[in-house]
Amino acid sequence: MAVTSDYVLPCGRDVEEVWEAIDLSDEHTRSCPHCGAVRESLLVLREATAEMVREEVEPPFDLVSRVMSAVRADVRRSDVVPLPGDGLARISTRAVAAVLRYAADGVDGVRARGCRVVEAPESTGMDPVIEVELSIAITAGQVTHQAYDEVRRRVLAAASARIGVRLARLDLVVSDVLEG
Amino acid sequence: MIETVVSAPAVAAVAVHAAEQVAGVRVQPGVAGLVGSVVRAARQQIKGLQPAPVEGVRVRWSGTAAVLEVDVVISGQDQAAAVARAVQRSVRALVPELTGVAVESVLVTIVDVAW
Repeated sequence: MAVTSDYVLPCGRDVEEVWEAIDLSDEHTRSCPHCGAVRESLLVLREATAEMVREEVEPPFDLVSRVMSAVRADVRRSDVVPLPGDGLARISTRAVAAVLRYAADGVDGVRARGCRVVEAPESTGMDPVIEVELSIAITAGQVTHQAYDEVRRRVLAAASARIGVRLARLDLVVSDVLEG
Repeated sequence: MIETVVSAPAVAAVAVHAAEQVAGVRVQPGVAGLVGSVVRAARQQIKGLQPAPVEGVRVRWSGTAAVLEVDVVISGQDQAAAVARAVQRSVRALVPELTGVAVESVLVTIVDVAW
């Protein structure tokens, strides 16, 4: 406790001496008002420290999920497309992909897989335009070419109704066929 | 002359509150915000206080006006563009009303859509 060694009390002792002799109060400490006052405050400090040591700190039950969503948020914030308006609203491409995948999943026999979203070159702040590559898995025997049109229709509708951006290009990639 | 100084965390706390007034909106802190919140909560807990959340909103100053950035997660119910505009409107209206701080701009980033 070198920090207190310079702190000499008016009676000649310093705070460190009082601290060392805190449990064996001698004649001087009992009678000296300075040492008494210092001893009082040191006892309060010791009590408070002991209380904090005893206290069991439980991490909040949802800590892991909170940390994970924080990490995801940081990743997603760096990859965004603009939303229509004053140019001060944006949405992460992952969020767009989630909405479009969900829309495609609604078609019978179609399972959305990957979805890549990029901002189109002609996109402006007032009228944002995106290009999407959606890979899907289809169930054999259940899906006809009409299903692709249905996927296209739903994804286009979701882009404007659920997000608010125009979809200039949608590439559908059938990446897998599932057993019916 | 009386000068009023409003700290950045106070502005951020009001902005979080304003953003979450919009239906289906949750403000989403990043890692830095989360760490900051743990430190701040621990410090306030010693004093027996429950701090209002400020994470997920970053405050910068342009003169005396606040430049705000808000990260949110929205529910898939409403159009993302409309929700983002509603968040901007709510923050623009409530921050000056509750803190007296002028708002220069509100940048809203939708980081996720959760059903």
